[in-house]
Amino acid sequence: MIEVSGLKKKFKLTKDHKKNKLDKIDPREDKDYFHSVTDVSFYCAQGEVLGLLGPNGAGKTTTLRMISTALKPDAGSIHIGGENIIKNPLFGRKSIGFLSGSTGLYGRLTVKENIEYFAKLHGMSKAAISSRCDELFDLLDMHSFIDKRAENLSTGMKQKANIARAVVHHPAVVVLDEPTTGLDIMTTQTVINFIKGLKAQGTPVIFSTHHLDEVALLCDRVAVINEGKSCFDGSLEEFKKVGKSDELNQAFMNILTEKSDV
Amino acid sequence: MFEVFKKEITELLRDKKTLIFIVALPVAIFPLLFAVMAFISSQAALEAEQKVHTYAIINGQYAQSFTDKVFYHKSFELYKGEQTFTSVEELSEAVKAGIIDMGIYLPSDAKQTLDDAKQSQWQVVYNDAKTINFLFDRVKELAEEFGNNLRAQKLLSYGIDEQQQQAIIAPIKVVKVDTADKRENLGEKIGGFIPYLLIPLVLMGATYPAIDLGAGEKERGTLETLLLTPITRTQLVLGKFITLLAASIATTTITVLSMGIWISIAITFVDLAVVKTAFSSLRVLDLALIFIILLPVAAIFSSLALAISIYARTFKEAQNYMTPLSMGVIFPIIVALLPNIELNAKTAFIPVTNVALAIKEIIKGTIDYTLLGLIFLATVVVAGALLAFCVKWFNKEAVLFR
Repeated sequence: MIEVSGLKKKFKLTKDHKKNKLDKIDPREDKDYFHSVTDVSFYCAQGEVLGLLGPNGAGKTTTLRMISTALKPDAGSIHIGGENIIKNPLFGRKSIGFLSGSTGLYGRLTVKENIEYFAKLHGMSKAAISSRCDELFDLLDMHSFIDKRAENLSTGMKQKANIARAVVHHPAVVVLDEPTTGLDIMTTQTVINFIKGLKAQGTPVIFSTHHLDEVALLCDRVAVINEGKSCFDGSLEEFKKVGKSDELNQAFMNILTEKSDV
Repeated sequence: MFEVFKKEITELLRDKKTLIFIVALPVAIFPLLFAVMAFISSQAALEAEQKVHTYAIINGQYAQSFTDKVFYHKSFELYKGEQTFTSVEELSEAVKAGIIDMGIYLPSDAKQTLDDAKQSQWQVVYNDAKTINFLFDRVKELAEEFGNNLRAQKLLSYGIDEQQQQAIIAPIKVVKVDTADKRENLGEKIGGFIPYLLIPLVLMGATYPAIDLGAGEKERGTLETLLLTPITRTQLVLGKFITLLAASIATTTITVLSMGIWISIAITFVDLAVVKTAFSSLRVLDLALIFIILLPVAAIFSSLALAISIYARTFKEAQNYMTPLSMGVIFPIIVALLPNIELNAKTAFIPVTNVALAIKEIIKGTIDYTLLGLIFLATVVVAGALLAFCVKWFNKEAVLFR
């Protein structure tokens, strides 16, 4: 289980940003800082898939980067299995598998070398790497291209390789930042099947997306962030109820509007 | 850390661009370019040397032996056209029109002018804009020879013999007694240019791979994934740093070896006495000392290049940042080339300049080993500080996620 509570993160504004400031100022911006995330909380239990929703610029990527330990929060806590990973980021890195739409591979390494490299960085033994790679190559049907250099792969093959790279170390939690953005139908289906597989294994999955059909298909729970704050955290049924619509797009819009009005 | 190093080296060796920079350029392309340049310039010089110039002379009878020598000179051919010349202006117009290459104007009988205790001023009209031009020097040489004969005859007529003439013309002759041995002398002349060649090579070896290892990671989207693995940032930086250090040393070593081999091949065909002397005076120990003193310099450049590269958002941005670094490195090397700048307790603490001066002293064979140790230590301290900065830089979110 992963529990996120009261996360806050601000970024110092650059001179360029101050110079090129638009007339319409984001309410999260003060003289020197942009308060990207001001209060975000949610949780995701074993075997659950949590959809992290929010408009562009809401703070989803910053939140996910804090969960993945790439960014250090200014306040709040992130617990995985009772361990606060802000205090113990090494534990967090061992426990989390992270994948985003923009994640790349090392083009001049083969797919197998890419995945083995990350497994080695996670401290896995040779035997463990070998058996885990075989398992993932079977699961994701990758055998035909594992010896190809990553620079020569199609988008679909790359995403499969990225998925394998993200979970090679058996992470306790998987975090996905818009993993289907820019992918074709076939590759999107691969990602969806992969999330379903994780769910079946009991691994908590947090994924941000703009595609609410994916939410309907996969998610047990939904968390909505708007302007850096959590404005909803609950089950899919509660999401529809609070959003006053069975239509997810409409429910999402209603939740955002209602919170903005408040 | 070793895994990072191993992976980076594998990737570098599979990158065609890196291989071109590290291996192909020094081993084949640079020597080939130098050979082509040398061939073209020697051909141009040879052509200029062998060219026969058309000339016209006014009042040639005033200095007949000179006129005869010009006439029989292999590089000159008397103008045989219909046009006649009577003034410098006419000669000048003819040169401009391409009718003749050169005109010589003798204003008066040189012997008579000397008898009148005056100097005869001869004018040579030609186009001096060409970079390789032997024309004027050849005429001047013949004119001086003529003038010397005139002077000698005049002095003889006064009863002054040849020996006395020499003493009158040059009453004092200064003779140089050089205490510097051949090696020191040669080292002083060429020693300054060796670091000018070596140090930028050390930098070049580090910069290109650094761009790939820092900004390249950001652009490909692999940096974030790398940061999410359980290795520490220090291990990550050290892995990348050692890769750059290896690339930098490899580039320098390959280039120096390649140049050595090509020069030894060249001197079997062409007699380059200076180069032969310079090579034979260097001992293995000197080469080893140069290599050792360059190691911390490579470490400085690797740290700097890595720090710059990781700050850049893209490959292109990193390339832009590397340009001032390259220029910044040339400046302290030029300082070492300036006259009166010597290796001493003060200059031993100026980064890069100190190493350039030390290499010069090593080549001259006059290195002070205490100062060399001091330079090594100072450079290691600077390299260590920069590496520490690089590790700190890698921990800054504002740098990694700009």
